[in-house]
Amino acid sequence: MIPFLVKRFIGLLFVVLGVTFITFILGYFSPSDPIREMMGEHFNAQLYAQLKHSYGFDLPWYQQYYHFLAHFVQLNFGTSFHYQNRAVWDILKDGVPISLELATWGTLITLLIGIPIGIFSAVKANTWIDTTNMGIALILYALPSFIIAVFAQTIIVWLNTNTGAQWPVSDWGNSWQYTWSDLQHKIVPIAVYATTGYAYFSRLARTSMLEVLRQDYVRTARAKGLREHIVIFNHALRNAMIPLITVIGLLIGTLVAGSFFIERIFNIQGIAAISVSSIFQRDYPVIQATTVLLAIGVVAGNLISDLLYSVIDPRIKAE
Amino acid sequence: MDTLDQDSTQLAPSEELMSNTGAAIPPTDLLDLPGRTTPIRGMAVTTKEIDNWLQRKEPASPFQESLQRLRRDMRAMISLGILAFLVILALVGPPIYRQIGGSYQSDLAGPIGPSIYHDYAHQELSKQDQGPSAQYWLGTDNLGRDLLARLMQGLLISLIVALLVEVVDVVLGVTVGVLAGFYGGWIDQLLARFTDLIFAFPGLLFVILLTGIFGTSADDFFGKMPLLGPFLGNGNARLVLVSLALALVVWPLMARYVRGQTLQIKQQQFVEAARTAGTSDARIIMRHIIPNLFSIVFIASTLNVAGTIIGEAGISLLGLGVQPPGSSLGLMISDTLDLVETHPWEVLFPTIILTMIVLAISFIGDGLRDAFDPRSKD
Repeated sequence: MIPFLVKRFIGLLFVVLGVTFITFILGYFSPSDPIREMMGEHFNAQLYAQLKHSYGFDLPWYQQYYHFLAHFVQLNFGTSFHYQNRAVWDILKDGVPISLELATWGTLITLLIGIPIGIFSAVKANTWIDTTNMGIALILYALPSFIIAVFAQTIIVWLNTNTGAQWPVSDWGNSWQYTWSDLQHKIVPIAVYATTGYAYFSRLARTSMLEVLRQDYVRTARAKGLREHIVIFNHALRNAMIPLITVIGLLIGTLVAGSFFIERIFNIQGIAAISVSSIFQRDYPVIQATTVLLAIGVVAGNLISDLLYSVIDPRIKAE
Repeated sequence: MDTLDQDSTQLAPSEELMSNTGAAIPPTDLLDLPGRTTPIRGMAVTTKEIDNWLQRKEPASPFQESLQRLRRDMRAMISLGILAFLVILALVGPPIYRQIGGSYQSDLAGPIGPSIYHDYAHQELSKQDQGPSAQYWLGTDNLGRDLLARLMQGLLISLIVALLVEVVDVVLGVTVGVLAGFYGGWIDQLLARFTDLIFAFPGLLFVILLTGIFGTSADDFFGKMPLLGPFLGNGNARLVLVSLALALVVWPLMARYVRGQTLQIKQQQFVEAARTAGTSDARIIMRHIIPNLFSIVFIASTLNVAGTIIGEAGISLLGLGVQPPGSSLGLMISDTLDLVETHPWEVLFPTIILTMIVLAISFIGDGLRDAFDPRSKD
């Protein structure tokens, strides 16, 4: 188990290095000159050189990259270009809890609803329950989250005009607080956020469960006269979970990509929204920090799914 | 990964089909035919039967069988019809629409014909946020632009991006995939590392980063290109960058599929035979391997088109793709998002069209996979 995890950890470290390098090199080759933009009309050559030196832009690229990495390891993301004198972390600190909250609830709902429904579908295979479930999941899986978000918004607007309700269609309440008003703001974005993952997981759970239910040992258990729920919960479920756990890492990646659209459509000021607005402001330190943070989120997801995998599959422990 | 259980019912007709057209029926069947002269075993058959036997239909090729399976797939066929309609709408819709309608006395621009007010970029500022009418079939947006004209233009943009991305995807994916599968070695290692990176790193994030940083300079660069420049006006120049970025993210997956398939084909006897006969590597790749990759490449790229269209719409939705006054389904959603509480239809139209095209292509892709690669569903 330990060698397996160490191997995976090294692989993921490689990914983080790759991401930081891509982020850095894109910023390095970016066609705009941040310092010149920062100075605007008050351009003078001496101050330009001075500023360039203080940001470290006069160094060769590998030294810049080294500094970039070294600062990153110390969680020092540098200073913003756009809001001078503001540390990058200062800009991000309001967004991080919001995005984290969205991702946490989104993942939980995806897993806690998607997997049981998929398993249930497999148990009831080829009945109308199964067909309806899988039809809905198929459509939700094909559609991107922003389409579902727009549909959700228009449905709310329609309900508001017809019932006189005052359900909000945008913004996020206070992060990690759950008064009624906060809940009203949060329920719809979280539900939409969870749909894509839900569709994927319920389909996968169904396939995986069907596969396991075909196995000989399940037939044996049934032939012994065990009750059906014991067969399903004690014999089949654990093995059906293995393929699901390996893709939780992928889920995090989808969620990160989805958060850009959810935050844009519901006007939520999370880390993805900050990332997009910093792109428009050419605020490279902020862009780099958000990209690497999001990538680390994805990699952490991969690592967690590896850990769970080794816990649930005894073959890996044995290695 | 498609898991619907109708799959198992779809298999049955194909087996039946094989036995009907396959003609590899043993002659024992012939013995039971009426008009048999002698009951003795052996070759005692009438000339008519021999004629029948000789004139039997050629067995259907695997390709034809797959097409037949595809034709039986109702969902895929309906989707194909919808897709064909949308493609025709995008291609011939705008020129026709610009001819329809009489001259109209604009408050700001004087008398203008349909060729102007049915243009996707024309702003009729005195007619904002109107509902459907005889003049504007689907109404206007918040700048008085014709929604139908913008929808058709957006659809065209989606299709162009899909085409561009698929060309790059297939060319790069097949080249690298075949080389990696055929020769292995360092190119295989490099591909493996690269795909690991792409899989772990959300591709969209990379596309956002790339278009965000190089967007404005790409506008300048592609807008001034000698031949393409004129086509890339109206804020469309950034499309080239978006397409390249999207293609860069998807090709490793294609390469991985192709690599797997190449490894399989390489083991087959006909490749061995070709090699024994002294055929060169290049000729084996061109004549024996690439033709056999057709179905997997076709299926993978169809399934990928839906993702590409979503990607372009998403990038434009974030404001990083097509720039106004150009149009794209994503840009239309972005433009009208703030009006959802007062004019919800404006955001609904592009969303519905996007839903239709994405679902249609996904269903066609699923149908193709079921038809051309029946084993994949087990």
